[in-house]
Amino acid sequence: MTAPAAVVLDNEAVQALLRLTHPKHRRVLTFIDEINQRNQRRGQQTRVVVPVAVRVEAGWDRTARNASLANRLARARDVILDGSVADRSSQLRQAAAVSVVDATVGHAAETAASPTVILTSDAADMGRLAGLLAGEVRVVRI
Amino acid sequence: MPTREEQLFRWLDRLDRDDEDDQTVVTSIRMPAALREALRVAVDLGMDATVNDATIRAVRDRLETFAQRAALAAHYARHPEARPSLAELALAAAELDGDPLADEPAFLRRAADQVVAVRPDASSDDVLVWAAALRSVQASA
Repeated sequence: MTAPAAVVLDNEAVQALLRLTHPKHRRVLTFIDEINQRNQRRGQQTRVVVPVAVRVEAGWDRTARNASLANRLARARDVILDGSVADRSSQLRQAAAVSVVDATVGHAAETAASPTVILTSDAADMGRLAGLLAGEVRVVRI
Repeated sequence: MPTREEQLFRWLDRLDRDDEDDQTVVTSIRMPAALREALRVAVDLGMDATVNDATIRAVRDRLETFAQRAALAAHYARHPEARPSLAELALAAAELDGDPLADEPAFLRRAADQVVAVRPDASSDDVLVWAAALRSVQASA
């Protein structure tokens, strides 16, 4: 039982954060709030990260006026997609039979500080993916 | 005239953009001599690449956490229905940590009610400790 050093957001987690009317907005906000309180209380830093492919799929343009809420609430760092990330994500996609975007979530979880938590609405796919990753990766359903 | 909070968010937005451009300024800060020496030793031991990196990281972490709390507070002020309860925060904490109590949301809700009755400013950690203690007592009874 250890606190995560990093939390990775998947597509629906981002969508829930972006829209106040999303049915899971409060649920995702609860995780963000808890992480913030821990960072203040414990002096540790649990980082929230988001693969850029997730941002594309969820429509999170950080420069858009309606994105300021998510930008400021999540303070999420981008995980960039380059050639080597594409190679590893491709391997994960084939091995776990997941979507392209989900494969980049797996890569982000694998390369983030461990232990890592993936916040997702698709616990089945992400659980299969987590089993293939190096390091301690847990899946939490939103 | 933007509020002080708005100014903070704008500087943080700028900070995010400056990350890509590596724009920096030279500044000086006064710190306890012992802190500076401790930092140097910690850097030698591998805490960060340089004393500068360690200082920047510590300040930035505190700033981002503070700004995020301000953003959450502003969001809750506009949308009180979005504010999570202590029980919800405790459940999220258990889920994040892989704590078996995450499988007992009703038990955590009762524990949160009990804790907040005696300590209105309780944190999720307080609830989890209380819930774990209750479980331990029940197991040994």
